[in-house]
Amino acid sequence: MSWRLSETKKAKTKWRARRLKNLAAALGRRRIGRVELGRFKPFVGLIAVFALACAFSPARRGEIIFLDFGNLTDILRQVSEKGIIAVGMTFVILAGGIDLSVGSALAFAATLSSVMLMRGGYGTPETVIAVLAAGLLIGAINAAVITKGRIQSFIVTLAMMSATRGLARLVSGGSGVEIGYGAGGAPQSFASVGGKIGALAPVPALIFLATVAIAWVALNKTTFGRYVYAVGSNETVSRLSGVSVDWVKFGAFSICSLLASLAGIIHCAQLEQGNPNDGVAYELDAIAAVVIGGTPLSGGVGTVIGTLAGTLIIGVINNILGLNNVDANVQLLLKGVIIVGAVLLQRK
Amino acid sequence: MSFILEARDIRKSFPGVKALDGVSLGARGGSVHAVVGENGAGKSTLMKILSGVYRADAGEILLDGKIVEFASPRAAAEAGVVIIHQELNLAPALSVAENIFLGRLPARFCFVDRRKMERDARDLLDRLGHALDPRQDVSSLKVSDRQIVEIAKALSTGARALIMDEPTTALAADDVERLFAIIRTLAGAGTAVIYISHKMDELFRIAEEFTVLRDGKLIGRRAASETTPGELARMMVGREISYDRVEERGQSDARSNVELLRVESLSSPEAGAGRATRLSDISFNLRAGEVLGVAGLMGAGRTELLESLFGWRRTTGESRVEMGGRPLAVNDPRQAIRAGLAFVSEDRKAQGLALDLDVGGNITLARLKRFSRFGFIQAAREEEAAREFIARLGIKTPDTRAAAANLSGGNQQKIVLAKWLLTDPKILLLDEPTKGIDINGKAEIYRLIEELAARGLGVILVSSELPELLALSDRIIVLREGRLAGALDRSEATEERIIELATLRNEEGENEVARAAS
Repeated sequence: MSWRLSETKKAKTKWRARRLKNLAAALGRRRIGRVELGRFKPFVGLIAVFALACAFSPARRGEIIFLDFGNLTDILRQVSEKGIIAVGMTFVILAGGIDLSVGSALAFAATLSSVMLMRGGYGTPETVIAVLAAGLLIGAINAAVITKGRIQSFIVTLAMMSATRGLARLVSGGSGVEIGYGAGGAPQSFASVGGKIGALAPVPALIFLATVAIAWVALNKTTFGRYVYAVGSNETVSRLSGVSVDWVKFGAFSICSLLASLAGIIHCAQLEQGNPNDGVAYELDAIAAVVIGGTPLSGGVGTVIGTLAGTLIIGVINNILGLNNVDANVQLLLKGVIIVGAVLLQRK
Repeated sequence: MSFILEARDIRKSFPGVKALDGVSLGARGGSVHAVVGENGAGKSTLMKILSGVYRADAGEILLDGKIVEFASPRAAAEAGVVIIHQELNLAPALSVAENIFLGRLPARFCFVDRRKMERDARDLLDRLGHALDPRQDVSSLKVSDRQIVEIAKALSTGARALIMDEPTTALAADDVERLFAIIRTLAGAGTAVIYISHKMDELFRIAEEFTVLRDGKLIGRRAASETTPGELARMMVGREISYDRVEERGQSDARSNVELLRVESLSSPEAGAGRATRLSDISFNLRAGEVLGVAGLMGAGRTELLESLFGWRRTTGESRVEMGGRPLAVNDPRQAIRAGLAFVSEDRKAQGLALDLDVGGNITLARLKRFSRFGFIQAAREEEAAREFIARLGIKTPDTRAAAANLSGGNQQKIVLAKWLLTDPKILLLDEPTKGIDINGKAEIYRLIEELAARGLGVILVSSELPELLALSDRIIVLREGRLAGALDRSEATEERIIELATLRNEEGENEVARAAS
């Protein structure tokens, strides 16, 4: 009798082991696509930074301030504008390009929003649609000049950076346009773009996370996403394989400018002002987030989840330095160190 | 005589692959040592370890009997071990002399001593028995001359051991002769030369010793005088194989008189071709189930012809291409693919594979739309198709998700072929499809070509290996300087005849053009 028992026991353990193995296999099953290198590395960095933040956080009544739910959602809110831009930048960099015009595009979008709302008397939906369309147009022009004119994206978007900034100043007459609510002002619905749902969920943060999710789907589940990786990996091979390289670039740059404009609308709502001089050097912060997230400037490899991690790494560090009242200039200095450090760490 | 460069019991693993498993090698001064093995046997890895590109997991390297460790290719070069890669490492915008002394430019104060540099460069080139102008830009040199610059560079560092990786791949026959003369000069001066090649006949002319690798293991060492190509081939593949695998092809049933493609007076425009050969007035046709060979010397316009048909190069207005009786207007590869053309390029890395995509991603790249609905990829169907082609072509890969970059040349070529077969082409344009591929891989690709032709595909095959061309082709057209020099039927085609047409300008050749056009 006893051997029977042990036999069933053995079978049961065996069965359990197999089920575990199957489960692991199902979880680890990978789909065809691109070669993935160091998939989790950006998150290792994020966890490390998070742990450090907990350790160095000031405490109030025995509670770590950094871990306070309000503080954490505030980090997300703070990084949302640059994060959304970085998501768009991920498409462009993956496809082997670069977009320097996003900071100006944000300023233009913010200024156009405030001018339409305050001076034009338009409602929120019309304003949002018009501003996003304008953003799309900026990206389309970038892509058209890059592909048809055969000029490097660095140069084309450098020119667009200047042109868009000038356009933003022209639209407002050079100065910022304050958003005021109430009679003769902007409709209250616009305030909600920069506000919160309930008491805890900041809308900009939610929009940022939604952007990441949609970008993930686009890059991993669609033919367009696959082509973005293919073009960034080897443009000649892509062309010879019948991929419409020009359209892929068109898509990537349009998405990038569109998202920069979306960030501009949020910027305007959060600051209650559309200022044509805002957003300076945002393109560099976005590139930094992408690179810290593990996407090399040469394109072809990388993930939008990495960009999310890269954005959060910068956000958490700024937050913890702020909580400790460290000089803002020291924050800048540290950011420089982190960019290089992150890239060094991600190398094999 | 003792070894100049010796490797003992080298082991090296890459993620998922044991590249070298206890391999030893010894190269004597004054002799040429050949390392042979199929693609994936571990030759390149071993050479990269010897020259400091990789570090071995275990084992030791001895230079002149002393254990050395090279931290980088530069350290290896300084110690006297220099590798000349298949892809040459020269700065095209700099002169011959500057390239030879790059990194060690002779200086006076902080200015380059141009005179000394050029004099020294000339001395070196003279020692190699080769008159190249040291002031010439490297970009203006042909491949064989660039190779000589590389060798001079190696010599200038006082290399004791020189490793050459497939040096003759891109060379024409007389350039190969010249290279061999230089190698013999070097060996005569006491340098140890390690030579890697797939071309067995070449190896027996130059090498005195052979080391055979297979699957990362040392199979054996032989002196050239004591072995035969047959024995080495057996050692390489681990079983008996016959050299002339491709048998006389019977009249296949699929081959008919159905004309698939008709090309009339195909020409390239005057401007914008760059350094490519300009095509002029080329006419021929291709029938279903036929393998049409394209012969010619380097620069005869063979690649340009395929690229023009595929819409990768522009053609002039009078060029007419008809496919299945209807005019074919192809301005870019997209249209070519849609029309049923597929193009396997000579340069796998630059034009064949997207190395950041995995095996499956590369296979489905040209026909991704087939596995998508509303722009969304249907992963399961894609996986299934990729698996099917991996099995059908016998691609050796752990799974569809493996990095294409980690596979051997033959398997990479099969991935490219799989990509194109997935598009259901009617005509296959193959440019040197077996370049840099081992014997087994070649035989498999030959079989595939035969099989595809038997199923009614038209194949246009460009190859520099005449035996390959003769064995596979039903007809052969010969190009010379961008023009059609002649066309030969299978029955009348011989190596001599082809070479004659490719090199000579005679009346008969011109007559042949007239015949070929009809």
